[in-house]
Amino acid sequence: MEFNTQLLYAHDQALLAVMIFVIMLGMGASLTPDDFRAVIRKPKGVFIGFMSQFGLMPLIAFGLATILNFPPAFAIALILIGCLPGGTTSNMFTYFSRGSVALSISMTTASTIMALIMMPILLKLYTGGFTAQISASMQLSGGEAEFVIPTMNIISSLILVLVPVAMGMFIRKHWPDWAKTAEDTAGFVGILVILYLLLTAFIRHGHLFLQTPIGVYIGAVGLGLAGFFFGYWFSRLLGVYPLFQRAISLETGIQNGPVSFAIILLSFSEPVQSQMVWLAILYSTFIVITSSVITLRYRKNGRKDWDIYKNTSIHNRLFGESYVTNYPQGFLPKRLVNDPSQGTQPSQKKF
Amino acid sequence: MGHRIKADNLALLYRKAADKFESLPAFATRVSALDWKPVSYRELYEQGADLATGLIELGLKQREHVGIFSDNRFEWILCDCAVQLSGSANVPRGRDVTDDELFYIIDHAGIEIAFVETVELQDRVLKLKNRLPALREIILLDHKAKEKEGVKRLEDVCKLGSGLRAQGDKRVEDRISAIKPDDLFTLIYTSGTTGKPKGVMLKHSNMISQVRNLPGYHNCTDRVLSVLPIWHIFERVIEMYTLSFGGCTFYSSIVTIGEDMRNVEPTFMASAPRLWEKLHERILKGVKASHPVRQILFHIAYFLSRQYKNSEYFITDKYLKMNKEARLKRFLLMPLHILRWIIVLPWYGFFNAAVLERIRLGVGGSLKATISGGGALPIHIDKFFNYMGIPVLEGYGMTETSPVISVRYIKDLVVGTVGPPIPETEIRIVEPETGTVLYPNPNLPDNGLSQRGEIWAKGPQVMKGYYRDPELTQLTFKDGWLRTGDLGVITHNNCLKILGRSKSTIVLSSGENVEPEPIEMRLQQSHFIDQCMVVGQDKKYLSVLIVPGISEFRQAGLNIRTMEELALNADANRIIREEIKRLTSTNNGFKRFEQIKDFRMLPQSFEVGRELTNLFKIKRHVVEQKFNHVIDELFANGSPKNN
Repeated sequence: MEFNTQLLYAHDQALLAVMIFVIMLGMGASLTPDDFRAVIRKPKGVFIGFMSQFGLMPLIAFGLATILNFPPAFAIALILIGCLPGGTTSNMFTYFSRGSVALSISMTTASTIMALIMMPILLKLYTGGFTAQISASMQLSGGEAEFVIPTMNIISSLILVLVPVAMGMFIRKHWPDWAKTAEDTAGFVGILVILYLLLTAFIRHGHLFLQTPIGVYIGAVGLGLAGFFFGYWFSRLLGVYPLFQRAISLETGIQNGPVSFAIILLSFSEPVQSQMVWLAILYSTFIVITSSVITLRYRKNGRKDWDIYKNTSIHNRLFGESYVTNYPQGFLPKRLVNDPSQGTQPSQKKF
Repeated sequence: MGHRIKADNLALLYRKAADKFESLPAFATRVSALDWKPVSYRELYEQGADLATGLIELGLKQREHVGIFSDNRFEWILCDCAVQLSGSANVPRGRDVTDDELFYIIDHAGIEIAFVETVELQDRVLKLKNRLPALREIILLDHKAKEKEGVKRLEDVCKLGSGLRAQGDKRVEDRISAIKPDDLFTLIYTSGTTGKPKGVMLKHSNMISQVRNLPGYHNCTDRVLSVLPIWHIFERVIEMYTLSFGGCTFYSSIVTIGEDMRNVEPTFMASAPRLWEKLHERILKGVKASHPVRQILFHIAYFLSRQYKNSEYFITDKYLKMNKEARLKRFLLMPLHILRWIIVLPWYGFFNAAVLERIRLGVGGSLKATISGGGALPIHIDKFFNYMGIPVLEGYGMTETSPVISVRYIKDLVVGTVGPPIPETEIRIVEPETGTVLYPNPNLPDNGLSQRGEIWAKGPQVMKGYYRDPELTQLTFKDGWLRTGDLGVITHNNCLKILGRSKSTIVLSSGENVEPEPIEMRLQQSHFIDQCMVVGQDKKYLSVLIVPGISEFRQAGLNIRTMEELALNADANRIIREEIKRLTSTNNGFKRFEQIKDFRMLPQSFEVGRELTNLFKIKRHVVEQKFNHVIDELFANGSPKNN
């Protein structure tokens, strides 16, 4: 497939840069140093999440790219997205799916740091075959160059992206009112820019939609969905409580989209860059829809265990840490019988 | 609804709840913001049985009337439990009861044993005691207070009973099995809006039918916040309902409600319109005080929510349909609404999640529903909360119907109405003068929908009658139907809409009938008007008595110290005049004869117990009497001063 049109003009790139800045600033504004400490205090959930995010997700991306026979640039982009850390979007979806927001935040912070080490390793591991294909086609068309994943560039773009996050945290510490504003604005700006990009892509390059193989669409949609599915069952099989299960599931499927734009723009160049950006746009669009649907489903299914968790923890908040809430026999689902607080209140554990 | 306990009477409800929910908290009392004292279902029942045995030992007979004079507190419910377990009925009243009422109630109900909450009440009852020969025992609830001679302490009566039960006293069990569904569980004296107190006789079967028929999907993880006066039937039905599904009732108060909502995160509560007006004010103030960007985001969110919900209401046929609509109009509008719904959906989804959720967290964030009753909820408040995503279900009823006749269901939420009648309940709309049935009436178009008239009700919740007042009972019932005295209409989606109280209807000298409530609610939308009452019976035109919001005038820059000064201030008078003009103009849908021609500012506000009932309804006759001279002056010249 020929994919020569330049997808983004200079002003689009500038807009993207602004968006990345605003969103990462918003992400930082929602974080406190305590969130980082929480990771160390309760490492179990974060560890399971880590396995799911950096173990399962890249594998899913690789699997999808291979099965659906992705063109190499799209494949690299998909794997890149699969290796990304989580973002704040997942925290919001976790909140509405009645999952553990605390765990979601911990996973976001942990994965953002861990990505510095994990992303280069994982990319090397999974993209080998695809980079070779690109090198081959480049040599065929007369070039000498060999295509390699720009590891150092990726690490430095990741670090660069962390700058606004740190700024956001600084704002949160000193001007909490501004921080809240930054948080609210970030999500809004994100949606606006994605819609703008989609719209302009549609107007300027309508043929792009037709040129993109159907498999790529399936991959862009399927990556998130498979992440939700495997994240859910992986954590469930490990005996995690429903509250955390929903958080891990969403955190696994939802990646930090803006970071992918940053990495692609800063570290890759044509002929692969436009295709990669295109896939990132597709993923970012579809993930909002799929995670909305999944969230509504989780929200409904999680109603009972969430109500139990809420009630139990409010009893502990108001009646004292050592208060034990005993529900009538047969009321609690099997998985919650030992601990209706779902691992959040030590006093509930009786075994 | 499968989690609710089914029982034949309230005593059995208490016992079955204890057997099922055992150590779950039934009630919680506030010690401080984050420190509450729970009482479990088991403890409640056991203590209740102890107290009941103690009362029986003191000579309490089955079906006797026991007085409880107390505001909301755990001991209240303990007394209620004991009274039910002993097969008797209670006569409750709050601390604000006047001496006259106290005497009337104890005498009229033939009370021999009375609980009093505080030392102050104890002293007042003691003073009346020599005129009340039947009154034998006074029991003091407040365990910190010192009892006077001849008064027993609650814990002593409990101890007495607990000792007896330890020795195998089974009288409580016998009493419970002797309760019949037709027995009274309570006798409630309503001060109402007119006349002397009436004793409403409510049966076990009345309350049990309410517990069975109230809408809602609750279970033992629910938390219910209690703010309304417990002796009022609306609050009581909610507490019994809560017992039936195993929830915990948290006793809050008007002063601490904001804080308690955030800490308790209630899932359900009963409330009066005034509470929602206060919350509405507070939310808007909070928005105004927030960062400018967030203010803009809030307004966008509210706007989107309004668009979204209005289309949703249209598509699902859940909007106020006072008149029959042409099929064609609906058919033509439908695609437009569907289109708007689809376009707005993603934006609404985002703003709902990012902005409106923060607002909802301000009221705890866990509310599944709240029922507003005891007065009409102003339409703009109603809309506001439903747009916010806080489902306020407005209900309608009266003490005589223990109390719910109809309520909006979450799935049947038509803003502006009080919903369809609850199960097992029938409603009629009747022409008040002639007694002709307007709805249901097959001879009228649409079986009588959108016909205005008096509401009559029939169902298992309707009272036995007024105690020792067969004449009034006979007047209130007609062919087995209870005449509510309220005006209403059945909308075209089968919901009841309340139009006003037929007794408060103002008939102008021109013969035009005016319902003052909608006009008053409209006027109260102004920040400058705290409370108001429309007057003009038998006059040429309407006028209004206004309690101005003094703090708003101060904020507007008026240098005012007292209400008297404010009433005379020319600027203030000008502002009020403009407000009245703006709010009740014919452009706003008010008819010509509904125009307010003149007004007076009152030097003091309407207070609960004086001009207002406990549910903030204006006692019109009291206000009319008290401000007789002002009203006379308003209409002295026969024509308005400022026209």
